[in-house]
Amino acid sequence: MRIINFAASQAISSSAVLIFLTLLLLAASRRMSNCISLFAAQSAVIAAQVFATAYAHKSVAALMVGIMVVLIKVVAIPYALFQLVKRLHTSRDVKASIAPAGSVFITAALIFISYSAVQSYAKDLNVARDPLAAAVAIIMSGCFLMTSRNKALMQILGLLILENGIFMAALTTTFGMPLVIEIGIVFDLVMGVFLMGIFMFRIRETFNDLDVSKLRKLRG
Amino acid sequence: MVLLLPLIVPLMVAAMVLLFRDARRATAVALAGGCVEVALLANLVFQVYQRSTIAVGQYLRADALTSFFLVGLGFVFLVTLLYSVTYLRHVPPGRFSSPRWFYCLMFLFVFAMLAAYLAQNLGLLWIMMEATTLASALLVGFYNTDGAVEAGWKYLVVCTVGIAFALFGTIALYLAAVRSGVPSEAALDWTVLMNAGPALGRVSSLVKLGFVFVAVGYGTKVGFVPMHSWLPDAHAEAPSPISAMLSAALLNCAMYALLRYDAISVRVLGPGFSHTMLLIFGGLSLVGASLLMIVQRDLKRLLAYSSVEHMGMIAVGIGIGGPLGLYGALLHTLNHSAAKALLFFAAGRVRESYGTLELDRINGMARTLRWTSAFLVVGVLAIVGLPPFSLFVSEFAILTAAFHQEQHLIVVSVLLALVIGFGALIYQLQRMLAGEPAEVHKSRISVPEIAAMAACAALVLILGLHLPGALVHMIQRAMDVVNWR
Repeated sequence: MRIINFAASQAISSSAVLIFLTLLLLAASRRMSNCISLFAAQSAVIAAQVFATAYAHKSVAALMVGIMVVLIKVVAIPYALFQLVKRLHTSRDVKASIAPAGSVFITAALIFISYSAVQSYAKDLNVARDPLAAAVAIIMSGCFLMTSRNKALMQILGLLILENGIFMAALTTTFGMPLVIEIGIVFDLVMGVFLMGIFMFRIRETFNDLDVSKLRKLRG
Repeated sequence: MVLLLPLIVPLMVAAMVLLFRDARRATAVALAGGCVEVALLANLVFQVYQRSTIAVGQYLRADALTSFFLVGLGFVFLVTLLYSVTYLRHVPPGRFSSPRWFYCLMFLFVFAMLAAYLAQNLGLLWIMMEATTLASALLVGFYNTDGAVEAGWKYLVVCTVGIAFALFGTIALYLAAVRSGVPSEAALDWTVLMNAGPALGRVSSLVKLGFVFVAVGYGTKVGFVPMHSWLPDAHAEAPSPISAMLSAALLNCAMYALLRYDAISVRVLGPGFSHTMLLIFGGLSLVGASLLMIVQRDLKRLLAYSSVEHMGMIAVGIGIGGPLGLYGALLHTLNHSAAKALLFFAAGRVRESYGTLELDRINGMARTLRWTSAFLVVGVLAIVGLPPFSLFVSEFAILTAAFHQEQHLIVVSVLLALVIGFGALIYQLQRMLAGEPAEVHKSRISVPEIAAMAACAALVLILGLHLPGALVHMIQRAMDVVNWR
């Protein structure tokens, strides 16, 4: 019993390392499918954290949120994205506008910045510094992935990663938002991915490509 | 029931209208449903007027501020439905581009905005704001041309990312409330936050952090410069009734969300912080948008930038604060809605007849499109803020408040922006009206279109000549809600 308690309390802080690992690998990978798998892995780490929190606080609501995260972010959305890649018959490259080495370097810098950004807040709020820094790093690298990859699918993925970061920020600081709100947010997320999928097909129909750098008719 | 019915009806109509493949029947169902919905909204507004606040459970609540914004939403929705009746006959059929899908998505869009107005919980407010993006993204891409698809995609991605920042800000505020001892189930309830107000001051850094993120997040949705990039594209590429809904209803909805957070921030930190941020965003939007208006080559893009300018005006009004500034800002949301809906309706007519919205190719409108030209003139004169139209009244109130507070920089930038916007719009208007008429595709203006435009024109004129006592009373009570008295 003691060991489980210890594991639960350690899971929260040690998961930050795993999160940083997924972020750096995401920056380095050039294949669409790798990125989707990495997103699923990252969601799984966060889900583990939710379960650890649920165990530590004996909270049923948190347990349900954890199950929801597993079902939707670890299983359903990655599956849907894999299907999209398959159905769209597009090249597997993410069309990075920055070389992998540069991306990894920038992500590392973002992690460094996020540590210094949360320093004072973590002290004031009396929460663990590592997970909070990880949450901020996820948010920033999600934004970075969205802006530096030209494949439309990567923009969806960047958005999902960004959302993961926000979820983790809420988790580490307040042990999550009320259940009803959490469900609503996830519902919006699923609908958003669904709609972006529809747009993806339309973009391919009208532009014969999924490269968002081709979308530059509207300016000014 | 008063509160729940207006939420249930649009969902039911959205589902029902899908059953009708025939365009005529779908239109009839939508119009009937729309009339019922507007009647229910009117009833809700009336009940709030008589009884002050109505609340259902923990999550839904209508107070004077809500009901003031509902007046604008109901009006815009009704005239847009009326205008759509004949507008949709020109839309080529496609997989999702059929009238039934148009109406279905439009009712979902209205549902989302309505729910955002009625939300008592900031989390629910966020969910519904995101839902407005989701419901309207397909409407923006409705024509399925390359421009429309690009605009729809951009709208969806930019607004979703923007709104994600607002979620982060909401979490920061939630954290601040939980840390100040508010029970976690109630910590997103804005009435609780308003009451707890000063107690949150101990974690003021979190409240500040939260407001910054919310201002950027919902500010994206309002279309503040520099987060406005989605706005002109979406407004220009969407079908004209949808452009009118976006500009006249959605932007107000986002502004309302910002106003709620601003009120909380003022309760906690005093007016200094959040009002300064609104003044900065408002000033940037005013000056930036008016400069961009000069170079526009497309009628609807020009109107879209004018919307950005007016949202900046409203933000400045809220930021100046005081009784007169806030009064002007609230009144301006309603005035701008009516005038901008009118202009987008007229733009839709121009597109139908000329087959283009390029300003260089629209000439001699005064001779070929008499009704539309007349309405366009009224709309442009109203939007640039000339008396006797109502936008003059609200802009004058905001400027007077700014003068009283000796905010000279703001006064100068507002006046500068207004003059530049005036020049750009009037110059393009006279170019469109005068000259030899080009080849136009003859399409007779229909009665519903005239009625929709006449209703908007009448509203801006009547409110400019005389503000009804009931409306003034409503605005004053809405201001009491913002100031939490």
